[in-house]
Amino acid sequence: MNIFQKMMQIDRRWVYLAIGLAVIIPSIKSFDVPVTVSPEVKRIYDFVDSLQAGDYVFICVDYDPSSMAELNPMAVAIVNQAFVKDLKAIFVTLSQFGPGLVEQITSQLAANHNKINGVDYAFLGYRPYPAITILAMGVDFSVPFPQDYYGTPLDSLPVMNGIKNFDDVKGVIEITSGNTADFWLIYGNGRYGFPLAIGITGVMSANYYQYLSSGQLFGIIPGVKGAAEYEELVGFPGEGKAQMAYQVIAHSVIIIFIIISNVAYFATRKRKAGLEGGNQ
Amino acid sequence: MKKSGFKFLVVLAVSIWLTPFASFAEVISADSAFQSFPPMPIIVTVSDMPNDPGGALIVEWSIPDADSLTLASMNVYQISRSSNPDSEFESITSLVAGSTRYEDSGLEDGKNYYYRIIAFDNDNRLAEGTGGPGVPSGQWFNTGRIPILIMVVLFATTAIGFIVSAKKGYKFYVRPIAGIRAVDDAIGRATEMGRPILYVPGLGTASEVATIAAFTILGRVARKVAEYNTRVIVPNYDPVVMAVCQEVVKGAYTAAGKPDMYDANDVYFVTQDQFPYTAAVNGVMLRQKPATNFYMGMFYAESLVLAETGFISGSIQIAGTDQLVQIPFFVSVCDFVLMGEELYAASAYLSQEPQQLGTLKAQDWGKVLVVVLIIVGMIFSTFGWESFAAWFDVG
Amino acid sequence: MTPQEWGLYEYIFNGVAALLTLCIFSFLYKDNPFYKFAERLVAGVATGYFTMLLFWTNFMDKVYDPLKAGQWWYIFPAVLGVMMWTRFSKKWAWVSRYSIAFYIGIGSGVSITVYLYTYLFKQLQATIGFPITMDIAGLNQFLVIIAVLSALVYFFFSTPHKGALGFVSKIGIYVIMICFGAGFGLTVMGRVALLVNRVIFLKGYLIQLFGG
Repeated sequence: MNIFQKMMQIDRRWVYLAIGLAVIIPSIKSFDVPVTVSPEVKRIYDFVDSLQAGDYVFICVDYDPSSMAELNPMAVAIVNQAFVKDLKAIFVTLSQFGPGLVEQITSQLAANHNKINGVDYAFLGYRPYPAITILAMGVDFSVPFPQDYYGTPLDSLPVMNGIKNFDDVKGVIEITSGNTADFWLIYGNGRYGFPLAIGITGVMSANYYQYLSSGQLFGIIPGVKGAAEYEELVGFPGEGKAQMAYQVIAHSVIIIFIIISNVAYFATRKRKAGLEGGNQ
Repeated sequence: MKKSGFKFLVVLAVSIWLTPFASFAEVISADSAFQSFPPMPIIVTVSDMPNDPGGALIVEWSIPDADSLTLASMNVYQISRSSNPDSEFESITSLVAGSTRYEDSGLEDGKNYYYRIIAFDNDNRLAEGTGGPGVPSGQWFNTGRIPILIMVVLFATTAIGFIVSAKKGYKFYVRPIAGIRAVDDAIGRATEMGRPILYVPGLGTASEVATIAAFTILGRVARKVAEYNTRVIVPNYDPVVMAVCQEVVKGAYTAAGKPDMYDANDVYFVTQDQFPYTAAVNGVMLRQKPATNFYMGMFYAESLVLAETGFISGSIQIAGTDQLVQIPFFVSVCDFVLMGEELYAASAYLSQEPQQLGTLKAQDWGKVLVVVLIIVGMIFSTFGWESFAAWFDVG
Repeated sequence: MTPQEWGLYEYIFNGVAALLTLCIFSFLYKDNPFYKFAERLVAGVATGYFTMLLFWTNFMDKVYDPLKAGQWWYIFPAVLGVMMWTRFSKKWAWVSRYSIAFYIGIGSGVSITVYLYTYLFKQLQATIGFPITMDIAGLNQFLVIIAVLSALVYFFFSTPHKGALGFVSKIGIYVIMICFGAGFGLTVMGRVALLVNRVIFLKGYLIQLFGG
């Protein structure tokens, strides 16, 4: 068996070990990675930055703990920016595991920025069936959410005074790891026409740039790299930027393996074709 | 006499010349020290917002008497509203200079609204006008979306036409798809090895097209499985999907003349949570070691985990999903993949149901229309004829 | 990383989380009882959590509380929902068809126009609304149109892919594969992020446990 055949038959557990080491080594000795900001991320930052104190922004947190690594950093960065600018934020989740995550983010960041629930922001809670919930919110927030997550009627919350539906907010930022981004595009932006931006996992990113081109989205934060870019803009370095060193090492290892496997694949295929030609 | 007469004429001429200024001085002394001239009139028109559910008005204005210099000096427009032109107007917003339109919302349908617009140059009230009444109302039909209606009617007519033709027995051609041919081979392999077949119908609900296609392909698989006396395991994410899968598999065994071979425990519900479901299916793959894995339907992040585990356990894998994001993972690990619409085509090809075949044909002709529109639109846009592309800008 | 102030509660539950993380990772070597335990635990906990959440947010908030508040019209969707359960009975399964018909009818009616608007009209407008010019933007636009047309031809099922159609279809599949490659690369970033998050968590727990 020549070296190329051996390369084709590497036990996958060696690959797992190599990736594991590639991730562990930066945790022992980390380094800073310069982050360049892409236009689609900057547009969301500029949008939030252009709002005045007291303007309303709607943030929908639709991910679960399995996507926290990618989406939590961007959610924290956006909420930090909103609170620094004294914007009023309305939070909603359409994911069943979202309530705990939203509560964790809002309570921690509200304490950091001296924001009061019900006065500076509101967390309306969780509802299933995203399409129906988004359509209902477009009519009146109090239809799907007659009270907030903590059981307080919406009309008794000072922050919800005069806020009826999406017409009263400047824009919607949706952070999701699932198909709720499609629901917001179809039933939110498609039906009500409000400005919509999304923060999504890396795997989904390639699919949503077409909506950026068509103007249905005004911005995209793609995965943990996008989160690092947003943290760079906001000036609150967090988990996103911290992960970049790990990403660089791990991606380099993966690229090396891809090159090795492709070289081995084409070499063995060529050799196999050569042998078959000889036999004929 | 002549000298006194001349003096009288001079005094009279000067008096006449000074008279406007005298009245002007009265204005200055009686009115605000900043207001030199009466404000120019603003023509204000108020109209109902078209194609909306109600509660909104459009306020537009113009100042025909103002020259460009005067317009440039106006730095803010203050807009106020009232339901009665004689009562007090409530200020609702201020707009920057250059605006000529404002959309007011949150109003009550059927009620009269009047608007007053005042243009200011710092504290000087340069122009003012009142307009109305405007009465908000909702429209039943959004005329801005007529192009969508045309497309829907076109597609529906085409689909119905093809479905009717299929029901009358017309044979539609569907090009061969590699994954379909592999299904029978894969089932045969499982029979030879004496190992079961795993069929994963995805994480969608029973109303989704991909899941419906998965039911059709399951029916084909289950019929073959029943003929070959092989076992098929179907773990389910959704309870309703489980119920349908049970009916499909049981029906297939009955149709093959082997109803006793059907085991309800092989078509079961796992959990309605993504990764626990994935973990459970992984466990089935590793413990039962199926010879063939089918992944048909809607998949999300678990697709790579499932396919990779199936690869480790040495199964032949055939996948089909319309989730474009997940297709790369299936392509890299599975032996055959039905990408996107190929899944629907496979379902139509295997079932030969008139509805599925007719819809597939209508979709194909829809694609032809889209190709033509793109080519024509590209030519029109390149030559600067933008009206064609504007037709697709529906409200 | 420096140790924080943790009580016994934090040590125990974060320790359980760390242990379960390692149990799942053990699957990378081979299937084993630790992985099976963690797998079944997460399935059970998730199901239990989701069931209770659904009860409180769906039944209590959307049926019980409104009915209790006198909004009697909520009884109609509640009855339609109960009718869906008859699907599991052989004798009464026909009753569920009315609920399904209602659900699919409303769903289709609401979604047809917005789907066409979002997925067809806006995309068509974006594709054909830009002229082909002799610069980078024009070249980009030209490539986009070629990619869209060839991908559409690939998914044409009514004729065999031979001759000119076959050639265009081949371009289409290459374009699709390039798109998949981009998606795959982005996914690698996402999956590595999940792994990194767990490694950072485990490192943090070890530092906490052994004092840094």
